[in-house]
Parts: sequence; C-alpha cells; structure tokens
Amino acid sequence: MKILVITEQRQGKWNNASFETLAAAQQIAKDTSSTVSALVIGKSIAAFADELAAKNVAEVLKVEHDLLEAYTADGYCAALKQMIESAKPDLVLFPHTYQVRDFAPKLAAMLGKGMIGDCIGYRNEGGKLVFVRQMFQGKTVADVVFVGTAPWFASFQSGAFRADLLAAHPSGKAPVSAVSVTLNTEQIRTKPLDLFKEAKSAVDLTQAPLIVAIGRGIKAPENIPQAEALAKALGGEIAASRPICDEGWLPMERQIGSSGQTVAPKLYLALGISGAIQHVVGMKGARTIVAINKDANAPIFEIADYGVVGDIFEIMPALTEALEKAKTS
Amino acid sequence: MTVQREQLDADVLIVGAGPAGLACALHLANLIKKHNDSGGKPELSAESIYVLEKGREIGAHQLSGAIMNPRALAELVPDFEKNAPLDTPVTDDAALLFTKGSSFRFPITPPPFKNKGNYVISLNKIGKWLGGLVEAAGVNVFKEFGGAELIYERDGIGGVITEDKGLDKNGKPKANFTPGYELRAKVTVLAEGTRGSLTKKLVEKKKLDNINPQSYGIGIKELWDVQPGRIAPGYVAHTLGWPVSTDMYGGGWIYGLSNNRLSIGLVLALEYADPQFDPHAAFQRWKTHPFLKKILDGGKLVRYGAKSLPYGGWYSVPRTYVDGGLIIGDSGSFLDSQRLKGIHLAMKSGMLAAETIFDALKAGDSSAKTLSAFPKKVEQSYIKKELWQVRNFHQSFQHGMLAGFIHTAFQQVTGGRGLIDPMPAHAGYEAYKKINGRPAPERFKGDGKLTFDRLTDVYHSGTRHEEDQPCHLVVSDLNVCATKCVEEYGNPCQYFCPAAVYEMVKDPGGGVKLKISAANCVHCKTCDIADPYQIINWVVPEGGGGPNYEGM
Repeated sequence: MKILVITEQRQGKWNNASFETLAAAQQIAKDTSSTVSALVIGKSIAAFADELAAKNVAEVLKVEHDLLEAYTADGYCAALKQMIESAKPDLVLFPHTYQVRDFAPKLAAMLGKGMIGDCIGYRNEGGKLVFVRQMFQGKTVADVVFVGTAPWFASFQSGAFRADLLAAHPSGKAPVSAVSVTLNTEQIRTKPLDLFKEAKSAVDLTQAPLIVAIGRGIKAPENIPQAEALAKALGGEIAASRPICDEGWLPMERQIGSSGQTVAPKLYLALGISGAIQHVVGMKGARTIVAINKDANAPIFEIADYGVVGDIFEIMPALTEALEKAKTS
Repeated sequence: MTVQREQLDADVLIVGAGPAGLACALHLANLIKKHNDSGGKPELSAESIYVLEKGREIGAHQLSGAIMNPRALAELVPDFEKNAPLDTPVTDDAALLFTKGSSFRFPITPPPFKNKGNYVISLNKIGKWLGGLVEAAGVNVFKEFGGAELIYERDGIGGVITEDKGLDKNGKPKANFTPGYELRAKVTVLAEGTRGSLTKKLVEKKKLDNINPQSYGIGIKELWDVQPGRIAPGYVAHTLGWPVSTDMYGGGWIYGLSNNRLSIGLVLALEYADPQFDPHAAFQRWKTHPFLKKILDGGKLVRYGAKSLPYGGWYSVPRTYVDGGLIIGDSGSFLDSQRLKGIHLAMKSGMLAAETIFDALKAGDSSAKTLSAFPKKVEQSYIKKELWQVRNFHQSFQHGMLAGFIHTAFQQVTGGRGLIDPMPAHAGYEAYKKINGRPAPERFKGDGKLTFDRLTDVYHSGTRHEEDQPCHLVVSDLNVCATKCVEEYGNPCQYFCPAAVYEMVKDPGGGVKLKISAANCVHCKTCDIADPYQIINWVVPEGGGGPNYEGM
C-alpha cells in the first residue's frame, strides 16, 4: 500500500501536527508493509522538503507553484488532485488542522472518494484498516472503515500520535522529487489578502487599575462616547454590564460580571448600573467603588464606597471637564 | 444549511434522564441481564440503550418539591432504603390556611395532603444516584446532548437528531461547530418532562391529544439554610389561601430537610385571568407571611429554580405509543394532579415502558401494535388507579377555588366521577382577560434578605448557557409582541417568566420591542405554555446549558 502524507506549512512555519501524522503513517506502514511518501505544498519550500527527507520516508514530493504561495482551497485542491491522479497513492493522510478541514473534504469529493476526518487512531484487522474517531465529545468512539476503491482519505487529530516517535531516515536522506502541476489564475476563485490575527481582546480589563463601567442608564449607543471621554480623562478603561454588550454597543470582552470578566481595579466607577448580583460578582473586589445612578434604591449603592444619586448625563461631562482642567493646571 | 450527520444505531433511545427515563433505562437493563444470564435468545445488550440528557450532568435539570412516594422505587431498586439519598421520612404533615397575617391549621389533615410513609427528598440527588446505577448497568448516558429533532419513520418515529453545537448567534458555524448526531433506534422513548419540545411536535403531528388539552402549573422553589431549631427534618406543610386569590388555583409547600435545610415553594395553575400577574412576585410575597418569616428569619437562600408541571391528569394523557415511539413520565401527563405527585408515577411509567420494549426487542417488532401494550399495562397498574380517582379534580378548579371544593366533595364520594364526567378543560392561556388600557403594574423588587427580585433568584439557579448561540426561544412573529400584545395583554411574558428572560424595551425606531435574554432561561417551559398567542417555541439550546439544580 502506498501512503501519502500531506504536510502543512504556512508562511515559512511548520504546522507541527504534520509530524504527528507522519509518525502515524510510519506506524501504519510498519503494520501493513506499506511505503510512506511525504508531500509539502507551497512556494519556496525546498528547506521544508529537505527536513522531511531526513525522516524515514520512501520519498518526498514537492508541489511548488507561484499560485500556491498563499493558501487557497481552490489552488490546493487543483494541485493535489493532479498529483494524486498521477502518483496513485492508496491512503492519503492529513493532520486535522483548520486548513485541512477547509480543503481536504473538497479534494476527496472532487475525486469522488470518502474521507474519515479527525481520527484518533487506527487498527489493522486482518489487512483491513479500521479508523477510530470520537463521538459525543469523547464519550464514545466509532470504528469506521472505507468502502469503495482507493485512494482513501483520512485526517488525524492533533495529539493522537507522538511526533517524537518519528523515525529518522536509516541512510541519511530520502529522495526529493519536484512534482509539476498546471494551475492558472482562473481556477482560483478566492483572492487571499494579507493574513491577520483576530485582535485578541485588545484590552485586559483584569489588569486595568481604573475602570469606568456603564449600564443600562447610558440609554443609547450614541451616549457611549461621553463615558469613553470620561474614561480617557481618568486614564482608565471602559467596561459595561451585560445588557450593553448584549446589544452589541460594546464588545463582549468589555463585559463585567458572571458571564464576563471578573475585575478588581483600584477604582470602579459605575455609571447607570443598577447592581444586579450577576454584575456585582464580577467587580465587588474593586478597592473603591463609586456609583452614580438615578434610582436611590439601586442595589449598587449597597456595595458602593461613594454614591451619587443623580443623572449621569449631567455628571459625566462635568467630571470629564473637571479632570481635564485639573490635568492642565 | 445542509450538513452531513453522523449516524448511530441503538436498540433503545431515551430522551431525558429524569425519573421516568432513568427508571426505564435501569429496569430494561435489568430485564436484559436476566434474559441473557438465563440464555435467552436473541441476546440483547444494555449497551445498546442510549439516554440523552441536555443538562451538564444527570440531575442538573431535576427540580421538584419534593415528597416522594417510594412505591415505584421499591420495585425498581428493592434495597433502595440502604443506599438511596432519601434525606428524611415525613414526620408531620400539616395543611395550613393562610390569610393575610395569620394562619390556621386544619384540625384533620385532608387525605390528599397525607404523606405518611413518604420521604422528603432532593430530586437532583435521587437523579444523580439513579443515574449512577443506570451507567453501572452498562447503559450509555450522553450528557450535554439534547434531542433537537425527531426522525419520522413509518407512522411514528425512528430516532432523534441531537442539537448542533458550535453555532453562533446568527446560526453560522463557529470554529468548534459539530453537527448534531442522527441517532436511530428501534424504540425511541420521549421522557422529556413537562411540555417536552419533541413530545409537543409529535403530539401535534400525529394528533395524539386526549379529550382534554393539557393543563399546566408553574412551581417556583427556593432552598434555604435556616437557623437551627426553626424546622424539624421531615416536617411537611402545605398552605392554601393568601396570597393566592380565590379565583386562582395554587398553594405553597414547606418541607424540612436534614441539617436545617428547607425547601419552600409555590405552585400555581397557569390559567389565571390577569395577564400581568407575576407568579414569582406572588411566591416572594408568600414568604413574607408571618408563619414563614419566622422560620426564614436569619436564614440564607441557597438555590432557586422553577419548572412547569402537567395538571391535566387522566383525560389529558396523550396517546402514548406510535410506531417506534413511546411517551412516558410528565411528557405523558402521568402526574397526580390532586396530590401534585409525579415522581413515583413517572418511574412506574418508565418501568412499564421498559417491559413493553423488552417484549418488542425479543419479538423484533417495534410497531405501534406491539407498543400499544404500554397503555394497557398502564391501565392495569396503580398509575390508572391513582389518576382515575382524581380524573376530574383539576378541571373543577378552572372556575375558581370555591367551585373546585364543591366538585371535589362530590368526586370524593363517587370515586372521582363527581357531577360531570369527563369534566372538560380548556387551555390555560385562553383564560387571560384583556388589559383594556390598564397601566403596567410596578415590578416586585425584594429586600435582598427575605425576598428577592428575579435576577437575584436566577443567579441562585446556577444557570449558564454558551452566550454566542442561536436564541433557543423562537418567537414566530415579533411584530405581535410589539403591537397586538402590548395593546391586548400587556406582554405577559415579562410577568410569567420566573427567570427574567423576556423584557419589553424601547425600540430606537419608535415604540417597543421584545428583548430576550435567553441565557437566563431555567428551562421551565412556562413561556411555551402560557403565551396568549402561542407564538413562543422553546427549542433545546446547546447541550450543557441551563440551570444547575444541585440539591434541589
């Protein structure tokens, strides 16, 4: 049996799950007297190919093309389809990465084949490979076998095999061959832009010494800049109780309370927050709590060190102005 | 969105790990073991019994008063007294009449309130314990999985699709998206409790309703730790009267558990006339009665919860069998509406279902014809006997307490027949009277010591849901809420919901709109039941969400 492992690199970095899958392939090869080929795909990937060649594999395949520089599902599928049709592997293995989840099922479907995704192991039952995958969040496992003819596709969950058990090449280096594929721009329907990382919560409220938090009393999203101005004048961060974030007026990462962040700043200025227990559990550890609320019976006053019964729309601008003045004088 | 679902086949799939579902699973596993041990053919497997539970763990969504009649449990687990967490036997059962400011104990406790031989329990603890036995017997219990859709097959059902996990607010898959599983079974048992979301669909689709529509009540409960000496373990009292007005049907309970723990609550029929009546506020006011105040003073609220219960009784039991399907427990209306006791009947119905399924598996035939043995077994059991005696009881009270007592007196002496048999019932939400411009009542606030607002109580229910998921309270026409309902009924959802899920807020575009805080939901189903236009549909949220009824 010919086993082909499709490894993953992105922007000059390995996805280390690639080596776990390679280790899995080596084990399967040993169990079934098969050969393993390792494939790397992209542009300028000679160094990656060499690194793979040092492992115990029969050969390393290098699929290079200008249009494969940035990942696209269309480009990867078109290139790998050609490659698989010519090399005719029996079993194609992937690490179960986000990228693989994106293109591998498409690739299998293009070839009219099945795929078993997210496997955690395999068994060799009298020459027939049985793949094991979890169901019900790991409560139970299912044995899955391929029906139909090769090639068969499967991906392995990260952590299912140990990369440190990967065997080195017995005689130094496996042969590396470049596989040429024909691709044209029309085949690739997506236009990749620069990679970006979703901004991890830009702010770590748990580290903020001063927090200005707003609640329902702010009434409308148009009024939030007033509170932000006050936070800025104080040199603090803006935060909110649940209804504000529920409405999408501020991002979730700025929510304080039982379903948000728990904070203990030096100063917590609560503006128009009634003080429901769900909010209070997230901020009662603040050293000094100052609450401003129109409702004198609001429960927030029970835990506030200083309380003002009043209209936040009068107090916020006045306070901001006073702070600015104090700073300049 | 079309997704490919993984399929899994089972012999038996039970939806819901409450007393009915767990008793069904355990009894069936026991029958199978005996059958296999004696070399019975075909060989059957307890591992091919699957139970779905939407809660974080078995018992997490179990809430009851609770006084348990141990009759069914004794049949299921003969040595239950040795190991079951029974808490304490009932030592005193009082019936109290509350007026504003004073209380009066009935000199003779009326028979329905007698509880000698019963136990004060935590249904959560009993559920956990029973769940352990079920798992030890080899049954597969899948926690954090709810039944989202029925798979219709033949003239009935062939299984269930579990809920999709990892969808965002707009129903788009997130990185952790896992499509629900397609679970197919020879027999699917709906043991979802009151107003099960799958049961509701099946009953509607296959027209399984009995001559009376189901009637419902809502029970609101708090668990307290009180000062030593305030209440004896095993003390049981039921209250009638204040603050429940005579045109409503309901009452309170006060149960002493061990270690100075107290279970208190109020049950009310969901068929009152005032759409702005607030059951949670009524419960809070009830606690301010001097009788209760004296007990609770200096104590501490430990936990809160609410659930609905089926009051309809015998004439509301739906047809409980279809091809490949059975309905048991509260989903099947197996609750004594006079004593408000359902745990033993739920368990018994589960056991009778297990016996029916066992025969079906052996015969390799799960058609409606074979499964129709279940209602016959129910007829011959004490379930029918108990429900038959009170078959007209609850309906008698749909026109107020006074009429109810007169009817009940006649029913007492005629074995349940009374003056009208069968006495008809109407759906509770039809009782609402229009508000005719009456301004909204002021909301109950609570003092934070003896009484609480709803948000504070909800906090004590331990309720949590994944925040970024589709709203599981599906309102089919929000326009009705913002216009017609404002005018006609003043948006009763804001009042009947015991978890502050529904709120009318100002719409920036003018007028008002409905805001749904689905993450607060304690899964009581009251909204699905009591909405005047029947446009709220409760569907299962992502598994694991919901209350945590530890000790309830």
